Amino acid sequence: MMTFDLTLTGSDLLLVLPEIFLTLWLCTVLSVDFSMRKVEHETLAYLSIGGLLATVFILIWFDQAGIIGSLFKNMYVVDHLSIFFKILILLATAMVIFISIDYVKGFRFFKGEYYFMVMMSGLGMMFMASANDLISVFVTLEFSTFGFYVLVAYLRDDIRSSEAGLKFFILGVFAAGLLAYGISLVYGETGTLIFSQMAGNPGSYGLAIGFLLIFAALGFKIGAVPFHSWIPDTYQGAPTPVTAFLSIAPKAAAIAILIRMFYVGLASFKPMWVLLFVCASIISMTYGNVVAIAQKNIKRLLAYSGIAQIGTIMVGLAAGTKQGSDAILFYLLTYLFANIGAFAVVIAVNNFINSDEIEDYNGLNRRSPFLAAAMFLFLLSLAGVPPLAGFIGKLYLFVAAIEEELYTLLIVGLINIVISMYYYLIVVKKMYINEPVDSTPVTVSLPIKTVVYVCVAGTLLLGIYPKAFIDWAVSATLMFSKIAPPATAAHSSLLGG
Amino acid sequence: MGEYSLLIILFAPFLGAIGLIFVPRKEELLTRMIAAVSSGICLLASFYIFFAYDTEKAGYQFVQRFPWSEELGIAFYVGVDGIGGPLVFASAILLFAGVFVSWHIQDRTKEFYIFLLILAAATIGVFMSLDLFFLYFFYEMSVLPMYVLLGMWGSHTKGYLSMTDPEGLKLRDSVGFIFNFGSNSKEYAAMKLTLFLSAGAVVALMGILLIYHFSGLQTFDIVALREQTGIQENSTLAIIIWFLVFFGFASIAPIWPLHSWSPVGHAAAPAATSMLHAGVLMKLGHFSIIRVGYEILPETTREWIWVAAILCVFSIIYGGLVSYFAKDTKYIIGYSSSSHMGYIFLGMAALDYISLTGAVIYMFAHALATSMLFAMAGWVYDQTHTRDIPSLGGLMQKMPFISGAFIVACMASIGMPGTVNFIAEVMIIVGSWEKYPFQVIVAVLGIVLTLAYLFKMMRGLFYGELSPEYAHAQDARTFVDRMPLILLIVCSVSLGIFPGHFYEVVRSTVEPMLDRINQVAPVVSQVSQHSQGLLP
Repeated sequence: MMTFDLTLTGSDLLLVLPEIFLTLWLCTVLSVDFSMRKVEHETLAYLSIGGLLATVFILIWFDQAGIIGSLFKNMYVVDHLSIFFKILILLATAMVIFISIDYVKGFRFFKGEYYFMVMMSGLGMMFMASANDLISVFVTLEFSTFGFYVLVAYLRDDIRSSEAGLKFFILGVFAAGLLAYGISLVYGETGTLIFSQMAGNPGSYGLAIGFLLIFAALGFKIGAVPFHSWIPDTYQGAPTPVTAFLSIAPKAAAIAILIRMFYVGLASFKPMWVLLFVCASIISMTYGNVVAIAQKNIKRLLAYSGIAQIGTIMVGLAAGTKQGSDAILFYLLTYLFANIGAFAVVIAVNNFINSDEIEDYNGLNRRSPFLAAAMFLFLLSLAGVPPLAGFIGKLYLFVAAIEEELYTLLIVGLINIVISMYYYLIVVKKMYINEPVDSTPVTVSLPIKTVVYVCVAGTLLLGIYPKAFIDWAVSATLMFSKIAPPATAAHSSLLGG
Repeated sequence: MGEYSLLIILFAPFLGAIGLIFVPRKEELLTRMIAAVSSGICLLASFYIFFAYDTEKAGYQFVQRFPWSEELGIAFYVGVDGIGGPLVFASAILLFAGVFVSWHIQDRTKEFYIFLLILAAATIGVFMSLDLFFLYFFYEMSVLPMYVLLGMWGSHTKGYLSMTDPEGLKLRDSVGFIFNFGSNSKEYAAMKLTLFLSAGAVVALMGILLIYHFSGLQTFDIVALREQTGIQENSTLAIIIWFLVFFGFASIAPIWPLHSWSPVGHAAAPAATSMLHAGVLMKLGHFSIIRVGYEILPETTREWIWVAAILCVFSIIYGGLVSYFAKDTKYIIGYSSSSHMGYIFLGMAALDYISLTGAVIYMFAHALATSMLFAMAGWVYDQTHTRDIPSLGGLMQKMPFISGAFIVACMASIGMPGTVNFIAEVMIIVGSWEKYPFQVIVAVLGIVLTLAYLFKMMRGLFYGELSPEYAHAQDARTFVDRMPLILLIVCSVSLGIFPGHFYEVVRSTVEPMLDRINQVAPVVSQVSQHSQGLLP
């Protein structure tokens, strides 16, 4: 029998200081929007970004000062891993708000609420990064998705946006159902909801099915095949900044939960879930890359490429070692810059020519050398070409995989690099080699330019001098340095108990 | 100052490229000047390392090492031996010449020079890397600029074997159809080249990762791996690694069944890119096989290098025959390059110290000779906008300097005494005779074939009737236009007449390497191990 202890002391409150701060800040943003009608929405955007960056500084202080601990009997933890993910999510949120500014100008209503919703989703995902038991996983996951349901369908006049919102909502609710069912099965089998207490349990069919259901629910969030079906339509229909947000932040948060759940809760069943991740990774990479070849719309292309990227990230989970988790964290950083950067370029182009078709990127190099060069770097980073960040990230993941001797996975992963290069180069070809139909120069607004510059800098810096970031990732996962002992005969099967 | 020269060579083009980003688009002269200055610095420093290389001391020299990531065991570790040094020098010469050859590019000059400088710098980076990670890093980095260079400034091929030509058609259908899908556009050529080379690169990467894992050292350091591989030589694992490395890198070399990207790519590329591509990029393959295969797995190399000796026969003959029947100038030179790569493989396969030295000298010599040919084919194309030999002719009247230089380049390609190619070819042939007499006969026939197709091309371009539509063709008159050709000819001839230092540089590295490969290791057969186990 399990009891919930919800008492809080003053020092406990310190641990949730970043979240409390951000909650207050977003209430402020909302009240400013309501009370001062004259305030331009740009001001609200910069106000939100200020709050997010302040929260990042609080988190950096936590990380440096070693302010870590847990709340509510280990249901909610603040450790270096969660701080890493929170910083990642906040950076993504801040960049998304930056690239939204121009987009929001086109909205007729609810300009201020948009920023509120984005920040609220960010807040939900911060909680996800700290979730350490199944109840908090459920609550935080639903909290963060709630904001996205609204955001995806934000363009009320656009039928595609409504369709995207509906698809996302139905599948999201379905995933929530799976998650709840999985949690109940796991609780029934183990009598506990906290990951660290599950470690010693003998395996059983109920436990296996329970975890498979939880994996499926999280698979919806990260868009792993075969739970990816909502991704292309939702990505295409949603407002592009929201797509950019969807493509990185919820994935990162769900990966944080996956790492905790499998590395801590299921450490003794490692051979079983390694197989699961190897299969999921191979299918996602291959499916995403092959289908991406046929895409005509840049947002759909990036959607499928995102599915493939998640497959690549799961290589690290399949390795199931500390090195694997380091590689995932590092890869997420590289993915953050490359993907948000690519979407920023998409938004800049869309603002000007009002189209997301790849055909309309013809001759972008002549119309805006800056955007074309930036897109070139982002796409090649996603493909994994040196000296860009994605290459180091992929190499790190592959090194982790080969240390565990996962040859099949490695071969498929390497082949996929070549496949992915094809469709990224098709975009490069359109931008650089083809001639533009209309050669008016594309102008780029200042906020988007800033984000693109930041992302270019990040992509190059992580590629050329990744040491500091690798060290950060390594120190964030120190708690896994003793994980995953070789499975003993007694614990080798999740099914037999 | 001296010890930093490798860093200067590597970073001068990179910094030049970065500097160019900030140059306004209209300042075309400034753009060219920056490219010329940065490549000039690179050339001077490489000239220094080529002549300052201490042949008494041998080994890796001008070494610089900076830790890069302890987690993954990577260090930025550069240094050259007697093989890397000359190739760095060759790359720098070609870059410098290439900058001047492309002096008249009008369309997006800035981007062109940025990509050209990155391409050359990455190539140079491979030749000086002493860390497997950085070897791969620069290797893959050199592939991508090719895509853009080919696609943006390249030219469409008007049927490299014209489809109306029955002989050409028959030849292509009989031997080379496997990889030739037959599109002639530059986009196709660029994409094929990039995907082919990336595929080769990931195959090699698999081998590199296996070395990393099974050495047990958690390091990519070639020098450390060379001392203690941790991989049982000639075990199944070692053989798998060796083949991954060999075929992965041989795809850029390019060896026979993996060659089809290269002539298409050469034909489509702008002149300076073809020069760098045929001149040094293709040698990345041989060089990396030597760096990784010969250094890290010497005994496995000794047992399996015969594969190269067999495939090189097809390279030489097939490349030569296609060149003979082809009608497109650049396509001929491209196939002739891939045919000549066969000689290098022959020299490498014989594992004889004369032949391997010859192979290394040939890499250098071929770089100079073939890039001269490409530079002039590019010049002719710029003037006439065609590469179709039957429609050309009589250009001697219009461009005496170019045709004179072309004759010299043909002589160098064939291996006339007095050019450095002669020394290299003779060494390969003499050194391999004992082990591979059949291949040597083929190689000699290949030289005759080279003579045939180059003379045929020369006749088609420069002699005979001048077509009136090309009456406006210009010769290379200014210093800028002539300088690259003169530079290449001077280098080729002066090293051909005074090869002493060059030979010593290469020898100092090749000799100990071959001693290591050819030493007979104590053979413990599996049977005897097994029987020992059975003894009480």
